[in-house]
Amino acid sequence: MLFKYLSAPLTTAVLGLSLILVAVPVRAEPSSAPAPRIATLDWTIAETLMGLGIAPQAVAQIAAYHEWVGQPELPVKVIDLGLRTQPNLELLAELQPDVILISPMFSNIAPRLSRIAEVETLELYTPGSNTWQQMIQLTLDTATLAGNPQAGQHLVERTEAAMVGCREQLPSETEPLLIIQFMDARHVRVFGENGLYHAVLDQLGLDNAWTGETNSWGFSLVGLEDLLGIDGQLVVVEPSPLGVEKTLADNGLWQALPDVRDDSVLSLPPVWSFGALPSALRFADALTSALAAKHDR
Amino acid sequence: MTARTLPSPFPLALCLLLGAVVVSLAWTALPVERGLLFNLQTLFSPVISSPDVAVLYYSWWPRLSISLLAGAGLGLAGVLMQQVLRNPLAAPTTLGVASGANLALIAATLFAPALLVSGREWVALAGGALTMGLVFMLAWSRGLAPMVVVLAGLVVNLFAGALAMTLLLFNQETLKGVLIWGAGSLTQSGWSDVAYLWPRLAISAALAWLLLRPLAVMDLDESNARSLGVSVRQLRLAGLGLAVFLTGCVVSVVGIIGFIGLAAPNIARMAGARRLGPRMFWSVILGALLLTTTDLMLQQFASSPSTLLPTGAMTAALGAPLLLWLIPRLKLSGNSPGVPAQGLVHRHARPGRLARTLSIMLLAAAVLAIFIGQTSQGWHWTAQWSVLEWRLPRLLAAAGSGILLAIAGTIIQRISGNPMASPELLGISGGSAIALMAVIFLLPAPGNLALVSAGTLGALGALGVLVLLNRRSGYVPERLLLTGVAITALFDAVRSVVLSGGDPRGQQVIAWLSGSTYYVDLQGGLLIAVLAVVMAVATRPLARWLDILPLGPATASSLGIGLNRSRLFLLMLIAVLTACATLVIGPLSFVGLLAPHLARLLGFGRAREHLFGAALIGALLMILADWVGRQALFPQEIPAGLVASLIGGSYFMWSMRRR
Repeated sequence: MLFKYLSAPLTTAVLGLSLILVAVPVRAEPSSAPAPRIATLDWTIAETLMGLGIAPQAVAQIAAYHEWVGQPELPVKVIDLGLRTQPNLELLAELQPDVILISPMFSNIAPRLSRIAEVETLELYTPGSNTWQQMIQLTLDTATLAGNPQAGQHLVERTEAAMVGCREQLPSETEPLLIIQFMDARHVRVFGENGLYHAVLDQLGLDNAWTGETNSWGFSLVGLEDLLGIDGQLVVVEPSPLGVEKTLADNGLWQALPDVRDDSVLSLPPVWSFGALPSALRFADALTSALAAKHDR
Repeated sequence: MTARTLPSPFPLALCLLLGAVVVSLAWTALPVERGLLFNLQTLFSPVISSPDVAVLYYSWWPRLSISLLAGAGLGLAGVLMQQVLRNPLAAPTTLGVASGANLALIAATLFAPALLVSGREWVALAGGALTMGLVFMLAWSRGLAPMVVVLAGLVVNLFAGALAMTLLLFNQETLKGVLIWGAGSLTQSGWSDVAYLWPRLAISAALAWLLLRPLAVMDLDESNARSLGVSVRQLRLAGLGLAVFLTGCVVSVVGIIGFIGLAAPNIARMAGARRLGPRMFWSVILGALLLTTTDLMLQQFASSPSTLLPTGAMTAALGAPLLLWLIPRLKLSGNSPGVPAQGLVHRHARPGRLARTLSIMLLAAAVLAIFIGQTSQGWHWTAQWSVLEWRLPRLLAAAGSGILLAIAGTIIQRISGNPMASPELLGISGGSAIALMAVIFLLPAPGNLALVSAGTLGALGALGVLVLLNRRSGYVPERLLLTGVAITALFDAVRSVVLSGGDPRGQQVIAWLSGSTYYVDLQGGLLIAVLAVVMAVATRPLARWLDILPLGPATASSLGIGLNRSRLFLLMLIAVLTACATLVIGPLSFVGLLAPHLARLLGFGRAREHLFGAALIGALLMILADWVGRQALFPQEIPAGLVASLIGGSYFMWSMRRR
């Protein structure tokens, strides 16, 4: 079948080690000043904080964070602020955080938030910038704002080491990759320039088969017909909407894709596609395992 | 009043012209250099030897077929609805079918995803049928009278729309696929949709042909039709039922396609197809050609966009200017005030006492909203300024915008005599919303000043279009509304395109569109409240106009009211009131529609009382809506505009059913 997760993920010593290192929170150096209470509206910042081993005081839409970002999980004590676009101001004022971290997407409510606490805006996916460099900067800045710059340095080094590890595991000859995610049975997001997946491909020395335009979040919404005629290994990032898999069996266009005919589509477990270093690492790991498993088959 | 009428062979010429455009566009899209034979072979007996052939056979030809079929189906549905309801504004999308299907798909995706596996078209069809059933139920006790059906359809539409928007607000990530569907993408990847649609359309067309003669009798008066032995109610039921089935089938396969069902019958009529038979025939052909032309042009000129441009939304976007062009040329039923909304009006014996009761309720609601609320520790009665400073601006903004919209709504409903009229429908909210979305998407990090300026400019732009197009015709209410419908259609289109792309900034757009007092600070709240009170006082002298204008232009002129001058003035007033409120709480708060209605249902009959009562109800509704929205899902907040339309809509449906 097309969409089975790779049941036997390839875990090598390097990969395993790097994952354990990332998963275990780094103990902050004991310092005299108490850790600042941090509230954030942005899931990517929340993910980065958790990757740094720093639990935020409050995050917006926690249930949806767990559904879409998934890992790293937020501790139970983290308080839900409500909608990301309209966090509950009364609640936020009551919590009295030391700093509120936002991305430029929420800058229209920054003046209101700044009446409660200091507001810091962290940028990611700015069009025209190097995504990987920006992710590293975001990680370092977040760590500094959280009062633990070393944790940022650690996370960056660990992630870069893990990327090198992944790169060594890759089969020597890998086709360019065409990375898609199903929106419904006829439309997919195809990921290219300026996105998380593309940045990871760069780090792993892989090519992206999608050279077309993308929006400022690094994807393009296209019909299946736009995928035909593009040479490349098809990679589907889960989750696919329910029912899509069933309809694809009768979908003439999908069945006409070479990788589908050969039953060689790669399927990857869900990864937050607008994330930062923790998501990047999870994607790199899943992709490396899938490619290596396919190579061995 | 007679509109310019064109000679009767005109529909044929128009269709030939459009047909020629379709053929030439199709020809340029196909690989011509390989010859006609090759291209036909890709349709009839393909040998899938290369990607191009696969794309042609599985995508290009099915897409052409589905656009012809869907356009034809919507054209037919539109003719049926307009004939049965005798209202040129009636269309598949105005009667709740599309929004019902939309809501059903959203709800199924979130709560019963297993249903989608067994077939999403069935879920959509069931949703559309349910909402239309609700509309029939609400209008049944009044014999499915045209105005009542349209009104019920509108309310159900808004209600379903508000529910869908609420679900969307909290589950944007999960619903991104449904958003694409809602924008109407004709993209095909096989022949299964065509196979699903064509037999259903064929059967519907046959049924429509059978209904042709009895439906044509309805061009006569209702009493005449009855005397000819036609059961009007059953006929309406059959006609509307068929139209719903058609819409449901089309919508479930390709998503919501705006404008075709509204435009095709109107263009056919304008082009000279008067009798029902020709009108039906040409509407079907025109619908098919309009949709196909749009779709082919989109494929041609937007070949590699970074965001998909969904055809359904684009027909609406391209159709809006066409509709604006058509309006001065459209033959409407003159200046007649239309069918009065019978049974909706009764007068309270003592409106003063009623107003006093409402004022006390308003005060109680304000006390509740400002002192009682939840914190992380549960429910609390608080009088601390550190908490009240967040609540007071919202209370003021809610009350103020409720009053502004209520007054605007009362004025427009009184001068147009049309229960469908509301400030939202005039397109002023839509105009300012379009500008706001543009700013959110074009500027990297827009501040509030940028948003407010853009919103004002947008509202003024929409107002400019309204004035420009209606100045010569003397601001005839029906025409004015139609202009509003066109601008609103444009707004819907822009919104669908923006949301279907799946850009994370869409969340901000949704949040703003649902009408929240969230973004108001104390200054803004005070400003809007003071403005509302000033406006409420300033409109009192206008009550005489509002009492007389509904009686018809002849009466008004004979009583010495300059029609053009008074209408222009009232129009400007409505625009300013709406723009102010829209800038604060977004374009979708249906208070402008509901408050004047509720005031009338309660018995505020004369204009002065009607204005005052509606203002009180508008403020009360918005304050309660804002408070409930903040508490119901604490710490998440449901925007006041959405809650208002849920509360107001429920009450409205209940009282319609009761009377």
